[in-house]
Amino acid sequence: MALLEGRKISKSFGGVQALSQVDFAVDPGTIVALIGPNGAGKTTLFNAVAGAFKPSSGRVVFDGRDITGQPADTVCRLGMARTFQVTRPFAAMTCLENIMVAAINRYPQKPRSFIEGFAREKLSLVGLADMERLEARHLNVVQKKRLEMARALGTDPKLLMLDEVLGGLNTQEIHQAVEFIRNLRDKLKLTVLWIEHVMGAVMQAAERVIVLDQGKVLMVGTPHEVVNDPRVIQAYLGE
Amino acid sequence: MLAISVMNGLVIGVIYALAALGVSLVVGIMNVVNFAHGELYILAGYFSYLFASALGMNFIAAMLIALALVFLLGIVIEVTLIRPTYGNDMYSLILTFILSIVLQNAYLLIFGPYPNKPPLWVKGAADVFGLFLYGNQRLAALIAGVAVIAVVFFIIKKTWFGRIIRATSQDREMAELNGVDTTRLNMLSFGLGCALAAAAGVILTPVFPVTPTAGVPVALTAFVVVVLGGMGSMWGCVVGGLLLGLVENLGAAFISTGYKNVFGFIILILVLLIRPSGLFGRAKV
Amino acid sequence: MTGKKALLISMLILAGMCVLPLGLGIYPQHVLIVSLFYVMMASSWNLLAGYTGQVSFGHAAMAGIGAYASGILAAKAGINPWIGICLGTVLAALIGLGLGALCLKMGGIYLSLTTLAFSQILHIIIVNEYDLTRGTMGLQVPSLMAEYDKLVYYYIMLAAAVLILSILYRMIHSNLGLNFRAVQNDELAAKSLGVRVLQVRVLAFTVASAMAGFAGGLYGHYLLLVTPEIPSLDLQFYVLAMTVIGGMGSFIGPIIGAFALNILAEKIRDYGEYHVLVFGLIALVVARFAPNGLLGLWKKFKPIKPIQAVKQKAFPTP
Repeated sequence: MALLEGRKISKSFGGVQALSQVDFAVDPGTIVALIGPNGAGKTTLFNAVAGAFKPSSGRVVFDGRDITGQPADTVCRLGMARTFQVTRPFAAMTCLENIMVAAINRYPQKPRSFIEGFAREKLSLVGLADMERLEARHLNVVQKKRLEMARALGTDPKLLMLDEVLGGLNTQEIHQAVEFIRNLRDKLKLTVLWIEHVMGAVMQAAERVIVLDQGKVLMVGTPHEVVNDPRVIQAYLGE
Repeated sequence: MLAISVMNGLVIGVIYALAALGVSLVVGIMNVVNFAHGELYILAGYFSYLFASALGMNFIAAMLIALALVFLLGIVIEVTLIRPTYGNDMYSLILTFILSIVLQNAYLLIFGPYPNKPPLWVKGAADVFGLFLYGNQRLAALIAGVAVIAVVFFIIKKTWFGRIIRATSQDREMAELNGVDTTRLNMLSFGLGCALAAAAGVILTPVFPVTPTAGVPVALTAFVVVVLGGMGSMWGCVVGGLLLGLVENLGAAFISTGYKNVFGFIILILVLLIRPSGLFGRAKV
Repeated sequence: MTGKKALLISMLILAGMCVLPLGLGIYPQHVLIVSLFYVMMASSWNLLAGYTGQVSFGHAAMAGIGAYASGILAAKAGINPWIGICLGTVLAALIGLGLGALCLKMGGIYLSLTTLAFSQILHIIIVNEYDLTRGTMGLQVPSLMAEYDKLVYYYIMLAAAVLILSILYRMIHSNLGLNFRAVQNDELAAKSLGVRVLQVRVLAFTVASAMAGFAGGLYGHYLLLVTPEIPSLDLQFYVLAMTVIGGMGSFIGPIIGAFALNILAEKIRDYGEYHVLVFGLIALVVARFAPNGLLGLWKKFKPIKPIQAVKQKAFPTP
């Protein structure tokens, strides 16, 4: 059974149809990429799934539960964590505190020593161990993206939702990042739903690819199928 | 009694609507509530008193100069205090609250605690539909208030500037992408919001004299009207303003004079309980 | 600063505060007692504005609720002032809970508007219910002790301030404090990490309201006369200015601000009633140019340890 399933999700803002009848499924333990040209509705779909807003119609089923329209905090406590396309760190809090916020709401009964250890572990996972006492506003963009990933991991999620974490990286770094996320999935037994604008990078990491275009699912397939599909090429060229 | 209360409610309701339009405009565009709104209303009253009564100017000229000065002051406030706090709503709340206290105390120092009053525009009273005699000044205030509201509606609904304002309050990012200079728009709309407070001030102060703290209840009522009508809705301001003016005056006449301003608060609580987005408000996304 | 060092310093300050009034006359003692009232008010307001990012203009009104509740119970029904203060605290908390639940779901601006309206309404009620409150004349209330003694009042207020501050300190350094700050920093991000944002905000508002009610109750029984001056916008402004000037979002900022402004106000009063205007102008400049207050300014000029950009891979291998 799929860990996350969207059934005929639609969302309109005012008169603009941002998503129409989107069906998709994410199987447990897989890395699924959600790609599409700018304005295809990728982040809108993320928001509708993660509870930032309610879809106009359709259902979201996560881990066997209908979570349609549930607020973001409830969804998070059920095991879904996300990052933001434009990072939103707690700027005036230290890196460690940023992750502790996630951890205390996941494990409210645990003592402070456990929380700190747990948070530190996530911080070193993304390579920010030596910055734990630095306020997050001092980080650069790439570091902020990593902090957000660590923070999402701090909620000990079943499903990790990444929104364009490769921005600002060079080719070699992108390669490392892909490696990193694959390893992460294996080590923490995660499922990953990953939005990326750049097609190439995700192709190395993902097992399945969902292509969105103009608010609709254009196709679903393996990376190989997707890159060779004329409709996908058309959608990207038409940009 | 009933007829007079309704009439009083209409006069004050129009002024509430005017003051609320100023608040609503600024909330719609900038998501900022100016807590010094009432003090700018009072300032316009002091200005028109100063120019007309003390300097002996023509009252219309005095009122126009008062409007212009408060508009300019609004722009100065926007540039010096509000602009640096964009994206941090909390600081604009704190700053404008401090500003309101500073202005109140400055008025106290300059004008003293006693009420001041600009000259009446017209004298005498008129017979209203054969029902009762009503002061000409109040009738004039009603007409002037309606006229200003009509002008504001025309500007917002029919002109190019109004179209920019409506577009920006609906979707700021989109407006920016389409080349709207939102920084300048913020400045102008904040100034315009203050000028609307000033318009309410110059119209109403010949009837209700100004004191250093007389702006507080007016501003509060304007805030209640904005919540009641729905944040950012223009029709909400008009309907809400008239409604509040009527409720207050009927309540004062038939229930209790002392609790006149409490009725507005009760309405605020009811709105928050039943329909928090207000009568004409869009539900929050 | 490590926990132990901080504890030692605060113990020393507390010991100093205990001996401070001994050599002083009645008037300086009075100023200190009032300062302690403001310490409680500013520190609890700071829990709202400084730690959860919500601006209440009804904090003075909550103090008024505490003062009038306890004062009326004691003066009209002969209830022991200590019980009255407890009841006043509970009443302020309940009103805070009600107002918070009502308007916080709509966002921060609504709280500011509603609390401002609430303080205005409270004023109107107090003035109109003359039989109960003695209007602007003020209600005479009994003393906390059989024989009125300023020094005893000082120690009571000091104990109360220490109680409030230690509750605040524990709260800020607990899980709750982390959630408070997360909500203040970025509400949306906090929500996405499982923080129950509305609950956290209402809780902070309820606790802060209760503290203001408690401080107000004590203050009323110290002044022996409860007037509409307590739930006034002027007092509200005072509390705000002390917090803003001292340093919003820092623990010591409001404490320093409360003492400094209250003592300064006494000095300015010698020249006339200009202190509100002066504080207003100072607060305006500080809020505009040093949003973290004088304490924040001091921290800014204290050199921070430069963090070296450590050479590392963009993403390490887990």
